[in-house]
Amino acid sequence: MPYGYNGKILHVNLTQATWEIEEPDITWYRTYVGGPVLAAYYLLKHLKPGTDALSPDNVLVFALSTVTGAPVSGFSRYTVAAKSPLTGAFGRAEAGGYFGPELKFAGFDAIVFYGKAEKPVYLWVHDGEVEIHDASSVWGKDNLQTLRILEEELDDKRIRVASIGQAGEQMLPIACVQNDLEHFNGRTGMGAVMGSKNLKAVVARGRQKPVFADPETIKAIRKETNEKLKVHPPNVTLTQVGTSGLIKGLNDLGILPTRNFKKGTFDGADNINAETYHNTIFESKGSCYSCAVRCKRKVSLEDDRYPLSIKLGGPEFETLAGLGSLCEIDNLPAIARGNQLCNLYGLDTIAVGCITAFAMECFEKGILTTDDTGGREINFGDADAMLWLIEEMAANRGIGRLLGQGVKRAAEKIGKGADKYAFHIKGQELPLHDGRGKTGMAMGYALSPTGADHMEIGHDVAFQGDAISKLSAVGLHRPVEPLKTDLEKVRFFAVGQKARQINNCFGICDFCSLPIHALTFQPLVDLVRAITGWDTSLYDMMQVSERGNVMQRWFNCREGFGPEDDRLIRRWHQPLPDGPLKGQRIDPKEFREALDLYYAISGWDENGKPTLAKLVELNLAWLLDEDS
Amino acid sequence: MITVKVKRFINYSEQLISSVRIEAGSNVMNLIETIGLPLDEIGSLSINSSQAMLDQQIEDGDSVEIIPPIGGG
Repeated sequence: MPYGYNGKILHVNLTQATWEIEEPDITWYRTYVGGPVLAAYYLLKHLKPGTDALSPDNVLVFALSTVTGAPVSGFSRYTVAAKSPLTGAFGRAEAGGYFGPELKFAGFDAIVFYGKAEKPVYLWVHDGEVEIHDASSVWGKDNLQTLRILEEELDDKRIRVASIGQAGEQMLPIACVQNDLEHFNGRTGMGAVMGSKNLKAVVARGRQKPVFADPETIKAIRKETNEKLKVHPPNVTLTQVGTSGLIKGLNDLGILPTRNFKKGTFDGADNINAETYHNTIFESKGSCYSCAVRCKRKVSLEDDRYPLSIKLGGPEFETLAGLGSLCEIDNLPAIARGNQLCNLYGLDTIAVGCITAFAMECFEKGILTTDDTGGREINFGDADAMLWLIEEMAANRGIGRLLGQGVKRAAEKIGKGADKYAFHIKGQELPLHDGRGKTGMAMGYALSPTGADHMEIGHDVAFQGDAISKLSAVGLHRPVEPLKTDLEKVRFFAVGQKARQINNCFGICDFCSLPIHALTFQPLVDLVRAITGWDTSLYDMMQVSERGNVMQRWFNCREGFGPEDDRLIRRWHQPLPDGPLKGQRIDPKEFREALDLYYAISGWDENGKPTLAKLVELNLAWLLDEDS
Repeated sequence: MITVKVKRFINYSEQLISSVRIEAGSNVMNLIETIGLPLDEIGSLSINSSQAMLDQQIEDGDSVEIIPPIGGG
């Protein structure tokens, strides 16, 4: 009998409107656990290289983990994965909230979608039952309308809904998947893949909590962890101000991305920082399933121009910086309104911020003009232009039709040297961290299988004092120099990435667990043992993490990605022009050498492809058979 | 009264180092209130290079290091 999970994977063929349930054995679950590693298994098995990401042949996976839904802070996250229509590489995004645990309680550990429904549908999964419903009542509706209509239609206010808005329906490659209107599988265009399959939503409701191997131990660690979360400074800060504290921290450091990644300090930072946020638009705290941190923000504002609804969530750091400093906008209500529009339409706010800043710089340089925008000026600092661009992208009209394809494709279509201002890695827009002040983070951006991603590794400068002591269990004993890309940094990255990716594979939140938060390695391992009954260890869990990374890398190699795609943006090889880090740059030769060293440490060949030896070590030799 | 050394990381070239006198028996939260640092400006806090909690008692001669919030999404 499985503990902590259902032992059931639901396979849904949308073309035929049929489904079947697979019951893999315990060895399979121990090997592929959940999240990206579980999703990669099905993508590598069932997706042919070269498949159009928006065709019915793409495979879409909603993956929990074996421990998702345990009553512990941070155990709520799940992955949505498919081939990305934005990058053509492995697509994946994680979200917290309540949907993941509810799907577990509804009877399944993952759902794998194939094909395309003839007409718009949603999947209704409840207490082990599966139904495919006509979605004509919600197609064309935003995420809030969709939730309300489905609650009425299913006559249940306690359903949990993962849905797409109009952006996903129109298959914009920057479309996201949301749950509960404030949790987002934001990146790599997973909303577009749902749209391409005519799948508006997955709705879950379950009353069957999983059985755990050792409930008393779980209870004891939960109590101890929640006590620590109340007095552990990084967690207390998250409880108090969410992630908005980063605006001041990064601006003081001189690496707050500003003016399309050109600058590292923003004159208007005080107008969008934690203090202003909590003195003006903040209404209350929000949370995820069973979590004591409560880092989510709810905002409200009665205002004709920038009305804010308490139902739609407040901006987190990435959005504050993306729609704010990156576009030199310091109008907080407008930024929060932009965030809520993206939430309604189902747009990735990181991508939207980067696209808006790109458009503003192109406008500044005369590459885009009012002839392209229907007469509208789009200058840095213009909050209303930012909101207008969001509406244009969501409606897929005018300049929005071009920009909604992401900066890479937009720049290719615009020409005239626009690519000089289009900042992406592997086609994905950059999260809001400047690698010039965090070279380990820069390595994560370059090496992430999903394109630029800030969730590969922790932030270099954080690993001083107490934080580095938490990593001693994996042999990282000394802080690394944040500004260097030296041998120590590469070792730190290679080991730290394996430790950090445990979170994604097991569906655990970074804001509760490692690398810097209260739940450290030993209680984490003890929890997984108590939930599943498995005789597991930190070594075993790091192997799962590395297996996930190698499977995603293998997927990308099959799609033709190589070392030339593991790169940074040109601007980071140029000196920062302002602030305390003025003059700081990343040397391209040094950085390339660091990546080559990482390949070697990881057991990848000089082309960045995992070797046979590495595949065998990770029990992945079957990948060679799949390719033959 | 006891004396502790407080090192606040501002940026890569600037660290505020001060000696703080505080009543014996004080904890970390008392120290933060004494130096007037808002909690939302603390990303990480360690004492003598080890993880510290807000309710942890401070000893004479402790070295406290504070880093601002610089990571997260």
